[in-house]
Amino acid sequence: MSAADKHGHEREHAHGHGHKHGGDGHTHKAAPMVEEITDYEVLEIAVRELAIEHGLFTAEDHRKFTEWAEAVGPAAGSRLVAKAWTDPAFKARLLKDGTEACKEVGIDWAEPTGFGTPSDYTNFRVLEDTPTLHHVIVCTLCSCYPRPLLGMSPEWYRSTNYRRRLVRWPREVLAEFGLILPPEVEIRIEDSNQKCRFMVMPVRPQGTDNWSEEKLAAIVTRDCMIGVALPRPGRTTDIHPVHKARRPVQSAAQHARAAE
Amino acid sequence: MKKDKVAKSQNGGARARFKVGDRVQVRDMPNIFYTRTQNYVRGVVGTIAECTYRDLIPEDEAFNFDGGLEQYYIVRFRQKDLWEEYPFERDTLQTEFPEHWLEPVGH
Amino acid sequence: MSAKRTIDVGPVALLEAIQHQGKEWDVIAPRYGVTNPNPPWKSSLTGTCECLSVGGTLPALERRKAEDVLADSIYREVPAPERDLLALAHILLRRGLVTESDLAERMHTVRSRLQAG
Repeated sequence: MSAADKHGHEREHAHGHGHKHGGDGHTHKAAPMVEEITDYEVLEIAVRELAIEHGLFTAEDHRKFTEWAEAVGPAAGSRLVAKAWTDPAFKARLLKDGTEACKEVGIDWAEPTGFGTPSDYTNFRVLEDTPTLHHVIVCTLCSCYPRPLLGMSPEWYRSTNYRRRLVRWPREVLAEFGLILPPEVEIRIEDSNQKCRFMVMPVRPQGTDNWSEEKLAAIVTRDCMIGVALPRPGRTTDIHPVHKARRPVQSAAQHARAAE
Repeated sequence: MKKDKVAKSQNGGARARFKVGDRVQVRDMPNIFYTRTQNYVRGVVGTIAECTYRDLIPEDEAFNFDGGLEQYYIVRFRQKDLWEEYPFERDTLQTEFPEHWLEPVGH
Repeated sequence: MSAKRTIDVGPVALLEAIQHQGKEWDVIAPRYGVTNPNPPWKSSLTGTCECLSVGGTLPALERRKAEDVLADSIYREVPAPERDLLALAHILLRRGLVTESDLAERMHTVRSRLQAG
């Protein structure tokens, strides 16, 4: 077995991903590599090599999952929503069987193993918003997320702060994202604690008549599909206003210090 | 992955006990290891919103169970029933349970 | 009692030494004009976590629980991708799946190999 096989990705292969297929909605220009070898880079390789040598997994499986991780991103989710907005028959299929309908935008939840991944499974459901119903997604347990459609979850979604506070004070948390909804709108929180994976289909906004699917997809950003933002013309990126959490969750360490 | 485990049909695996619209209460069972049933729903009454899939009981709860298949459900709760002094009448939360975490309640 | 009790958050010397050098991605990437928001090893780390879960060595829920504890304590100040990497190494070390000396030695070998290449 060659050194490259044994150690999986070598540096030359992993770097220089200027363009991620499906990326995060942007095409990153091929950017120069950082010209230094950090301990983090070294640690990642070392952990992986030792794990492979101890038989915890194979280089082949690792390569398969790594390629999968590089391929997924929110562009697929955006396409899914745009297609549902413009094609009522597709929307009906999507609401009836989410996993199957994803194939129509090129996403197969069974990848990369044939049975999905150990976190995403294969039970995908779309949560359809209406003018009086707004969904928002969280996983209080561990931050499960529909990665085949949205890519890797953002850090804030994984934070204990979001996970604990969204279920308790959803309107306050959404306000911190800049989203304020009137009380007549039902906010429905989906805590995805088992094997179902969810994505929000927002209401198509006003001012988008006759837009192409591509133009519509551009305003369906990741945050819209989690439910912490609404799509609107002109908004093609997720920028988080910096509102400090008014009731931050105290860490266990802080509790311990307070108790001393 | 659990795909390769043989799922035998067990007493509790025959038919879904609940249907959409049924009122159910989340049991409060002791967890010995990790459970996926959150503390904040224990003892709360909700409504079956969806029947999702049949699956094995989670490994981390299999302590007292014999590896059968059971139905999973999405149950919807009023936020006002989950939290003290929740001010918004309409807000809801839904989350998913295997059947053994749910008990029927009267109408 | 159970192996799944809370992760020991006592610092690991090897992992402490990696921090505080200003080598986190959000610091060094701008220095080189690299626009990718994530370090190149991030997807490989994801691959490792998936493989450990599939194989049953470290199921995702267990890893996430330990990560939460570590992220709220000793790695709280570390930015996200580095924090996840340190947390994984920490968990594997505390579970005895790798030893600190093996890891240190392998890091040395890897660095030499990369610097020669």
